[in-house]
Amino acid sequence: MKLVKWCLWLGVLLSTILLIACSKEEKPASAAAPGASEKPAAADPKTKFKGKTLNLLVWEGYADPQFTKGFEDEYGVTIKGTYFGSSDELVAKLKGSGSVYDVVSPSSDVATTLVQSSLVAPLDTAKITSYGDLAPALRDMKDAEKDGKSYGVPFTWGPDYLIYDADVIKEEPKSWNAFFDPKYKGKVSLWDDISNIYLMGQVLGFDKTDPAALYNMTDEQLAQVKKKLVELKPQVRKYWATAGELNDLFKNKEVALAVGWPLTVATLNKEGRNLKAVIPEEGATGWIDRLMISAGSQNKELAELYLDYATRPKTMAKVAEATNYNIANSKAGEHMSADLKKIYVTDAEVYFKRLNFWRHVKNRKGYNELWNEVKGAK
Amino acid sequence: MSALFSKLLRSPRRSLALLVLPPVLWLFFFLVLPYLSLFVQSLLASDELGNVVLRPTTDHYRDLFTRPLYRSTLIYTFEMAAIVTTLTVLLSVPLAYVIAFKVTRYKELVYTLIIVPLWVSYIVRAYAWKIILGRAGILNTFLVYVGVVDKPVEAFLYSQAAVVIGLVHIFTPFVLMPIYSAFEHIPRPLLEASKDLGAGRFTTFRRIVLPLALPGIIAGGTFAFVLTLGDFLAVMLLGGPDTLMISNVVQNLFGTSDDRPLGSAIGIVMLILVLLILEATARAERAFGGTSSGERRIGGVKT
Repeated sequence: MKLVKWCLWLGVLLSTILLIACSKEEKPASAAAPGASEKPAAADPKTKFKGKTLNLLVWEGYADPQFTKGFEDEYGVTIKGTYFGSSDELVAKLKGSGSVYDVVSPSSDVATTLVQSSLVAPLDTAKITSYGDLAPALRDMKDAEKDGKSYGVPFTWGPDYLIYDADVIKEEPKSWNAFFDPKYKGKVSLWDDISNIYLMGQVLGFDKTDPAALYNMTDEQLAQVKKKLVELKPQVRKYWATAGELNDLFKNKEVALAVGWPLTVATLNKEGRNLKAVIPEEGATGWIDRLMISAGSQNKELAELYLDYATRPKTMAKVAEATNYNIANSKAGEHMSADLKKIYVTDAEVYFKRLNFWRHVKNRKGYNELWNEVKGAK
Repeated sequence: MSALFSKLLRSPRRSLALLVLPPVLWLFFFLVLPYLSLFVQSLLASDELGNVVLRPTTDHYRDLFTRPLYRSTLIYTFEMAAIVTTLTVLLSVPLAYVIAFKVTRYKELVYTLIIVPLWVSYIVRAYAWKIILGRAGILNTFLVYVGVVDKPVEAFLYSQAAVVIGLVHIFTPFVLMPIYSAFEHIPRPLLEASKDLGAGRFTTFRRIVLPLALPGIIAGGTFAFVLTLGDFLAVMLLGGPDTLMISNVVQNLFGTSDDRPLGSAIGIVMLILVLLILEATARAERAFGGTSSGERRIGGVKT
């Protein structure tokens, strides 16, 4: 019995040490980061990385061969994409196994979290050829900066659209309140994510005077949002967890109305469906995705080359084509057809102003808890 | 080195120790240690960014028992476990009975057919149910075609019913196996004696077969109950907006919500609850034990 007791104490001690080690681990990794990227290129980069693998941990669609293949061919490397389904999942994955991934694509709601937790490495923007061409409104945002250093390059941006199946719903929904329409009971799908809280805040008009209010709601506002989301539950068929799942829901005619990204519309309409996306009168929330280099990356130099490649006008044109998202480099217009140029360059500017872009949420824990409470409400 | 080993091996106690050491180390590092770190983590706080910090707190346990989210989800999970267990047992007992007593030829083939689904991945089977139960799925298309319903039934998929169907299907082999084995171990002379004494088929089943198979039924039911308590995939794939179970909350806390201490606290509470259930059912199994011991009961009558 004594032995068992002794073993248990040893176990408690060991596990405490383990936990301390885990929480300390992140710091030295980030301290080593700038040094690693400053190393001079010893050999020709075109041949130096041959045979290596670059691991991307990104949103669905951001490892599409349509644009990653060019990089693979140029440097003789392999790109392996892992998808995450929500911003919080990215943070959790990066914390758990940061050294596995080289490049990540956080949205504007967790950029600050990643930078402040030193999960990503600072960037030498001089190495990014197209940095000067990237939209200043995106480039100059302060949420991915620390100590004067930039931690990411803007990549894409877009809305959380109201997507509807135009074969089922003949008339374009003008307001998010269409979700509450008894006609569409059991035909609505929301994303399984705290962004629903921003969305409902917008429906309730909390961002009328200050767009930032959605990301900094008072307890009373949160209670109102919760009530509204619980009220919506009977209308909801399924909370989708990945873009792929939402595609299936539309494909199998399970839902006719959803919150979603342009990617879903692009993918399904290619398969002959008739989906449409709108920004309703209340506006829509939007996201800005950056590319960042993970602090634990073993291939920082190659990752930097990828960031350089991904922001080139030619690549960006392909990104827009593959994902239907708006892109950060408007020079991409030179490599697009006139129709696409109108959508992604000319119209984009007007459209940019209509979106309320996700921001850092200080009370993220509270938002997450609220969302769980909504899902758990019976 | 070899001299040392042979010396070690010569002493019988030491060689036993050497034999036992690897599994003990394995269990220590991969079972005891993880549970202990889970326990330690459940007593630590986390900061705004979700990082675990070394500040002891019992807040998570308090939250668990006071916040309606966790309490009501826990109750719902137990309800689901009870439903799934009842249905799997009701399905498995007749099935096992038929295989054990009625099927004479190809018995092994029939038994294998029941077990075969276990070779197919859980996720594949859950997806199969999606195809069957969906709005435009096989079942709805058939029902509309035959005219039983005039428009597809939505409640088949993304609902509590779908989760129950999925879980019952997936856990039935686990429940069937111990029940079947219990039936197989019933000495056939007992059944013949029962018939000789004038008992009908139903009385024999009720007074002889069922009590003797009870430990197997309890063991099978325990499988279904405990597996349901820990399941989150069925809810993710087949569940709707109202079917959150406790393991989904845990998965969420370790993933998207990134609140590992609270997730650990739920894990520890679930572990304790499951251990209590296992202890209770183990006792029940012993109490209704088999025919071998004279101390125990046969057919509800003390011998």
